[in-house]
Amino acid sequence: MIKKGLIYLALIVGLIVAIGPFIITTLASFKTDIELVQGTFSLPSRWQFENYVTAWTQGGFSRFFINSLIVAVAVVIPSIILSCMSGYAFSRFNFKGARFLFAFLLLGLIVPLQAIVVPLFYVLKTMYMLNSYWGLILPQIALSLSFGTLLLRQAFSSVPRDITEAAIVDGASSWRILWWVLVPLIRPVIGTLGLLFFIWTWNEFLLPFVVTTDPQYQTLPVGLLYFQQRWTTNIPVTAAGATIIYVPLTVIFLIFQRQLIQGLTTGAVKG
Amino acid sequence: MKYSMSGRSRRYGSALEPYLYLLPSLVIFTLFVGIPTLGAVVLSLLSWDGYTAPKFVGLANYVQAFSDPIFWLSLWHNVVLIPYYVLLPAVLGLAPAAVVHHLKLRGSSIFRVGFFLPYIMPGVLIGVVWRWMLNPAFGPVNSLLGLVGIQPLGWLGDFNLALPSVGLIGAWATYGFCYVVFLAGLQKIPQELYEAARIDGASGWQEFLAVTLPGLRGEIAVVIAVNLINALKVFDVIWATTRGGPGRSTSVVVLYMLENAFNINRVGYGSVLGVIIAVLTLGLTLVTLRLFGESSD
Repeated sequence: MIKKGLIYLALIVGLIVAIGPFIITTLASFKTDIELVQGTFSLPSRWQFENYVTAWTQGGFSRFFINSLIVAVAVVIPSIILSCMSGYAFSRFNFKGARFLFAFLLLGLIVPLQAIVVPLFYVLKTMYMLNSYWGLILPQIALSLSFGTLLLRQAFSSVPRDITEAAIVDGASSWRILWWVLVPLIRPVIGTLGLLFFIWTWNEFLLPFVVTTDPQYQTLPVGLLYFQQRWTTNIPVTAAGATIIYVPLTVIFLIFQRQLIQGLTTGAVKG
Repeated sequence: MKYSMSGRSRRYGSALEPYLYLLPSLVIFTLFVGIPTLGAVVLSLLSWDGYTAPKFVGLANYVQAFSDPIFWLSLWHNVVLIPYYVLLPAVLGLAPAAVVHHLKLRGSSIFRVGFFLPYIMPGVLIGVVWRWMLNPAFGPVNSLLGLVGIQPLGWLGDFNLALPSVGLIGAWATYGFCYVVFLAGLQKIPQELYEAARIDGASGWQEFLAVTLPGLRGEIAVVIAVNLINALKVFDVIWATTRGGPGRSTSVVVLYMLENAFNINRVGYGSVLGVIIAVLTLGLTLVTLRLFGESSD
């Protein structure tokens, strides 16, 4: 019994270590500079919501937040549609070059963005996509396609052939079979994939870091960094910025924790 | 393959159909991943400042990299991070997973969610949070240490402590991931194996060595491969905490690559470092998966 108690104690310590830093950061975001120096674990004497106002308006977090949302939506939806189409092609058709094209599309699982970001910068420069939403969205879609194609090919292949067979006999086109028969059958997989695409896009730092110098187009992670440099002595405001980033992520995580944990542990192979 | 598809394709429509489904994906993928991948190799053979006409220099950039002490120093820092990114989180994840599974503890989903939380956060956010936690003047970690009489440490600003600090932050962000992977793996180990071990009179520790560890072979391979690659391509956390400093004490390969390509306009040389990262990533993945036998499903 004592042994069990000690083990629980150790697990709770592990839990505090994992989530404590976020809570302490949020505590700091409600304090004044002076109060912060006096004690980091105490509750603020007066909750300073001003720090959030400062971060949101002067710090430009409203812009960063909207940019992150725009980019996330514009990446996730097309990535899902395109992954459905390419996964479908590889699972239900037999065609010349299928193996080669499949291997090519999986290149993104092997080559990390870090390795290609320098040439990618010049590709985007040539296409006048630096400092634009296009430069943030299109490469992110491309990076999502490898994992999406792999996952959805597998999901489509697991649907029994009799089901599509019947639709073919009824004279349905392949397009119709994809969107009206197959996709509804694998909805949970598509949901998980959408969540993963969202988290990967929302958290991406290197791409927007290289592509954007204009705060007009910066997303939250890059914004937070520039913000930290500009407000380097003002910890409460930086902490407010950090809280603005992690709270929505935490809420999404808590709602979809089962799918997300499962997806992220299987999706970890993605570079 | 499984079925004769030729007849079906005809009924599906024209033979062009699969290509039409693939076309948009292929175009986007080729432009933003395919061409840059090829481009990395091409650029690595050039001497180019990004503006004026490039000059073909063959393998000169590679030769230069191998004799560049800063490249080796940066790569060495990646190597130093490996115990923190691979070994430490694996142990910190495996121990509680084995105990929770062994004792069938309740409330494990709270620990699962809590431990995993840091793993879904962007690296920059983690960096900002820990810069505050490790603030030498009045950060929470030093105040806690002060309670037990330890003098305040410089952490990220200290030449000797900066790299271990970055490593510990990485371990903190990853152990929940390892915990979840191991816990899922443990549930797949047949209960009979444990019963057999117990009949043979194995102690808890012997049981762990004889049944648990071999049963987690695939999971261990995945955890090592994933975290090894993360140690190799780490950038976000370092950029948000130390920017490679103090001095060069936390400079890593990706940071040195970006510095070369964008700050001092040695694009060709920067690309060489990118190619090296790609080759090392691929090599380490293959070696890990080979060493641990079959890849996990």
